[in-house]
Amino acid sequence: MSFLLKCPNCGERSVDEFRFGGEVVSRPAPGAAESDWSSYFYFRPNAAGVQQEWWNHRYGCGRWFYALRDTTANAVQTTFWPGQPPPSEQP
Amino acid sequence: MPSSNNPGQSRLEPQPGETIDRAAPVEFRFDGRPVRAFRGDTVASALYAGGTRVFSRSFKYHRPRGLLCCAGNCPNCLVTVDGEPNVRACVRPVEPGLRVRSQNAWPSLRLDLLSLLDRLHWLMPVGFYYKALHRPKALWLLARRLIRRVGGLGSIDINAAHHTEFSSRSLHADVAVVGGGPAGMAAALAAAETGAAVTLIDDQPSLGGHLRYTRLQAVNPRQAGNPKDELAAAVANAPNIHALNDATAFGLYQDNLLAVHTPGGLVRVRAKQVVLATGVQETPLLFDNNDLPGIMLTSAARRLASLYGIRPGREAVLAISGNPAATAEAYQTALELLDAGIRITAIVDASDGASGEAAQALRDRGVTILTGHRIARAVGRGRLKAAVAAPVGSTGYADGRRIRCDLLCMSGPLYPMDALLQQMGVSQPGVTLAGCATGVSGATGLDEATRQGRDAGLRAANPAPNPAPLPEPLPAPPAPMPAGKGGRAYVCFCEDVSAHDIAQAIDEGFADVQTLKRYTTVTMGPCQGKMCGRALSAICAARRPLSSAEWETKDRPEVSGGGDLFTTSRPPWRPVPLAVLAGRERMPLKRTPMDRIHRQLGATMVESGPWLRPHNYGSPADECAAVRQRVGIIDVGTLGKLEALGIGAPQLLDRIYTHRFSDLPAGRIRYGLMTSDNGVILDDGTVTRLAADRYFITTTSGNADVIEEWFNQWNAGGDNCAHIVNVTAAYGAVNVAGPKARETLAKLTAIDLSPDKFRYMRSARGEVAGVPSLLLRIGFVGETGWELHFPAEYGEYMWNAIMEAGREFGISPFGLEAQRILRLEKGHVIVGQDTDAVSTPLDVGSEWAVRFDKADFIGRGGLSIAAARPAQQRLVGFIMPPSTAGSRIVPEDGTPVVSGGRPIGRVTSARISPTLGRGFGLAWVPPHLAEEGASIQVLIDHRPVSATVTLQPVYDPQGLRLRS
Ligand code: FES
Ligand SMILES: [Zn+2]
Repeated sequence: MSFLLKCPNCGERSVDEFRFGGEVVSRPAPGAAESDWSSYFYFRPNAAGVQQEWWNHRYGCGRWFYALRDTTANAVQTTFWPGQPPPSEQP
Repeated sequence: MPSSNNPGQSRLEPQPGETIDRAAPVEFRFDGRPVRAFRGDTVASALYAGGTRVFSRSFKYHRPRGLLCCAGNCPNCLVTVDGEPNVRACVRPVEPGLRVRSQNAWPSLRLDLLSLLDRLHWLMPVGFYYKALHRPKALWLLARRLIRRVGGLGSIDINAAHHTEFSSRSLHADVAVVGGGPAGMAAALAAAETGAAVTLIDDQPSLGGHLRYTRLQAVNPRQAGNPKDELAAAVANAPNIHALNDATAFGLYQDNLLAVHTPGGLVRVRAKQVVLATGVQETPLLFDNNDLPGIMLTSAARRLASLYGIRPGREAVLAISGNPAATAEAYQTALELLDAGIRITAIVDASDGASGEAAQALRDRGVTILTGHRIARAVGRGRLKAAVAAPVGSTGYADGRRIRCDLLCMSGPLYPMDALLQQMGVSQPGVTLAGCATGVSGATGLDEATRQGRDAGLRAANPAPNPAPLPEPLPAPPAPMPAGKGGRAYVCFCEDVSAHDIAQAIDEGFADVQTLKRYTTVTMGPCQGKMCGRALSAICAARRPLSSAEWETKDRPEVSGGGDLFTTSRPPWRPVPLAVLAGRERMPLKRTPMDRIHRQLGATMVESGPWLRPHNYGSPADECAAVRQRVGIIDVGTLGKLEALGIGAPQLLDRIYTHRFSDLPAGRIRYGLMTSDNGVILDDGTVTRLAADRYFITTTSGNADVIEEWFNQWNAGGDNCAHIVNVTAAYGAVNVAGPKARETLAKLTAIDLSPDKFRYMRSARGEVAGVPSLLLRIGFVGETGWELHFPAEYGEYMWNAIMEAGREFGISPFGLEAQRILRLEKGHVIVGQDTDAVSTPLDVGSEWAVRFDKADFIGRGGLSIAAARPAQQRLVGFIMPPSTAGSRIVPEDGTPVVSGGRPIGRVTSARISPTLGRGFGLAWVPPHLAEEGASIQVLIDHRPVSATVTLQPVYDPQGLRLRS
């Protein structure tokens, strides 16, 4: 695997500089049913298509961000900060 | 047999472009015999000059094989050099004293007994092991042993000393150019002129490509000099061209990453734009016995003559059966060989009329040109004696004409070396092709190649938004089929597969090239199909029906998606030693600020995570005794150190840790345990509150970066007013512990250290030995002690000051091993050593550190579930029986705990306790055995030995010394 990834802070860098943080999944609220917790712990959709992922610019600025990546083409569509909408949805 | 002691036997007069230095003799050994060479020779050229013609034995039938490509592409000259197997002799420069051995032959290269297999080849049809050996089963087992013995190439000498250390590095370029021929050099120069940073990658020892061995004067006597010299000089003078020689770009990956094998190791070149000027390659023609030594590619003969001043043969035949570009090259070669004094007995040209200046010149010089003919077979045993030429279209040899020769140059179709392009599967944005690979032909198309190169270089340096269509790879003509059945017409030299074998496999139903490849193993040898891939496709195409659409795109896999006529091109394009791929990354080893002192004290150092730290200073037992009885000092600068800052910091810590920290008063310390969300222990350490909005956190050694990331991930997004700063490298740290720790430190600080003023789990800031320090009263080793953190710059000074102050009390440094024993006596857990990927705080007896009364924290979900169920395992202490004389009973870390011969748990840490004088440790056991005094069995030397469970620390269970 080798591709360029755009850190929202630092710009395009080789993927070797980053740490993959897995798919973004939503965390059950405290007190949620046991089954919700286990699927949150152990199951991932692993979409064949675009999925939202965590990435950390480990050997750069150290910040975490989100990427929308098409897993079938290994093409990153966009990257953005957690807590903010993807650029396409920004005004 | 000609001796190889004479470096001059086959040498020509000095040639204009030769790379050898005739004034610099070099001697090495081949199969024990001395071989004399010149500096600039390759192992293969030196051997050839000395008369060697057989270089290897083939993979399956052990047929003698000679030089074929002389360019590092084919499998014929693989040898073992100084214990390194499968070295390509034709590209390995000679060095004095090299020990070269032939491979795949027994007892010797000339008399290989396994060549009997060649006589028996009818016994081993393609895929024979699928067909013949599967029943009865015992036969297969026997056969497998035998096949393993004779199979494979070369053997690894595990005793050979390997001096080479490889490392890998990365380069960044605006434009990367692959190929140092005229087109590549022109591309690099053009791009560099615009200011682009250019990396030029060439697999030869010097730039020039085919111009290194082409003598333009042979065709054009008025040609002055060699244009490569001018280009190479310009490249050398261009400050922004970084040229890599002897460097093979073996892989092209997404977003223009080139993997390059260089003598020093792997280089990763990330380029904005890539220009591929990789040229063309020749492949063998198909006729029976096309693998006899003496038969080689035309370019190989040229290389021998021009680069190494070697007479490739005395009487040469040139066989031409390709596209016009190849034909032009072949006629040029004929003139060059003539000029070098080699007799040409005939040129066998498959086309109907040989026209052009070169052909005329050859006729004028009396060379016979046999048009409309091709080679039907070669004759000779172990060495070429003659070639049989027959009219094109005739099947069989009957009307063949026998021509005496000891050199047969094969000039088949030229194929683009476009493997890198094919690897990407789809056309890659930012990749341009230039030069011969697009179909312009070598020497004659020089101007065109250079122009294309300049074009490509300019485009690459200034990519246009909508670039005009690029040149495409030269469409390759189908390889001509052999006359007759082709039972000894080798398509795949690596795997010994003939045209007949392939035809048979197709008839058996393996008509798709991908299955054909797997069934026959064609293209799967060391050359990775460079010699046979195209011929395989051609035979496949010729023998099975093809749709017209397939024919349309058959030479353009990037359009047809590979179709089913081409095998898939994958990296590496050339074999790469595993050592190069495994070459160590440049990961720096971390040393603490007191590193130099440890060395002066003669410490045995050990790698611990990214750190190098003292394991012991001579005797861990003495070090333990010093800490228990007097005072000891240990460098704990390897601890991860983080600061949590901001008014949101208390909430962040409450969220990440299982414990609560928002209610921790300033100046106090609390043990902190963190888990992943499913409740598995991630890390532990201490958390000290420095102020309302400031905490000082330690993590286990080597875990600082991961824990920092963990904090930051949960803290990302939103405005939490909390920040994590990693201060690991900013502070040095020591732990001073033992009954005399207080007296030692009291000499250095005004801070009141008395038991009721500086209590256990309290902190203070102040000067120690004049250095601003943070003092934490904690006790990992179970004694009165302080952990001191101070600016890293003062590391050595601080260490010396404390040692000086403690001298009168008998202070001793202690290392990792003593610390591990001491903490084990206290039952303190080391995360990662005593815990694993399923251990929860509940399992290790740290329920007290989990605050279920917090509404939420990371791990609450998983721990709530775990708490509601019966535990499956518990971490407990155990004590071994007293050892009898001479036997020390301590299980090794990781030893199973057994019951009735089955494993039911495992020992995580075990040592001899200085306090008890017995073996003891920590182990995972089923809950019903987690009781004081329970008996468990651990395996020592495969025998179960009883041990007694204890839930109490073996040392100071009440913690009286710790708190005193
Ligand atoms: S000739 Fe090398 S793989 Fe076929
Ligand atoms: Zn960044």
